[in-house]
Amino acid sequence: MSDYGVVLVPSTSHAIRAERVCHLAGLKVKLIPTPRHLSSNCGTALRFDWAEREAVEEALRANNVDYDGFHRMDW
Amino acid sequence: MVKVVDARGLPCPQPVINTRKALAEADQVTTIVDNETAQQNVTRMAEKAGCTVRVEQRDDGIYLHISKGEAPGNQVFAEKPGFSTAPAGGPLVLVVPSEFMGQGEHAELGEILIRGFFHTLGEVEPVPDTIIFFNSGVKLVVEGSPVVEDLQALHERGVEILACGTCLGYYGLKDKVAVGEVSNMYTIAEAMLGAGKVVNL
Repeated sequence: MSDYGVVLVPSTSHAIRAERVCHLAGLKVKLIPTPRHLSSNCGTALRFDWAEREAVEEALRANNVDYDGFHRMDW
Repeated sequence: MVKVVDARGLPCPQPVINTRKALAEADQVTTIVDNETAQQNVTRMAEKAGCTVRVEQRDDGIYLHISKGEAPGNQVFAEKPGFSTAPAGGPLVLVVPSEFMGQGEHAELGEILIRGFFHTLGEVEPVPDTIIFFNSGVKLVVEGSPVVEDLQALHERGVEILACGTCLGYYGLKDKVAVGEVSNMYTIAEAMLGAGKVVNL
């Protein structure tokens, strides 16, 4: 079972940008529908390997992509 | 008596049609084809109809030795076409006619939605029995598709994945298929008409 986290973002266009900058940084991420139990303004979220949490945050910061928060998935 | 159908060089779906006709007249049919897609399509049709298929590779073609079994599927070869008696609670078939989910002025959104959809499909019930991809939808089953991993996971769980061969050919993607089977209009039409429920994406 993989250990995943999700980044919640303010909008779909943020999600698209977040995915793009993470891909450019060589991070394995995936756009997914925001999990039901996480409340968000945006229906799309970015899933990542929890082991790469810091790298993902760094990539978003360095490229000025706003985000609402990081959550660890508990399944 | 064995009836021989030489389907070498015939375009899809002629090998299937000719085999089907022959099976209406004989209990044993040997169909000769010259490519793998035709082999798969003929085999699938025959097995679905309750026949057994033995494959023999020869220098001059692939010989498919087809024998009618005892299975009730033989009704397929009756005068009227079969598959009209599917129970109301028959298979759940999902139809994907586009590489995008919905229509709108921005393809980017439709792509995000369809990616989200196939991700979610791995987490919700009920899981479709069959997913059929046609028109630009076939772009989703080939190498480099953003949903290919989700589809592979569904395939491993037993979901049948059919991609329209004509459509793959149209886009030049026939040799790039990464998940599921290349299919034809006969199988697609039968799957849809024989479904308990068809969900059109």
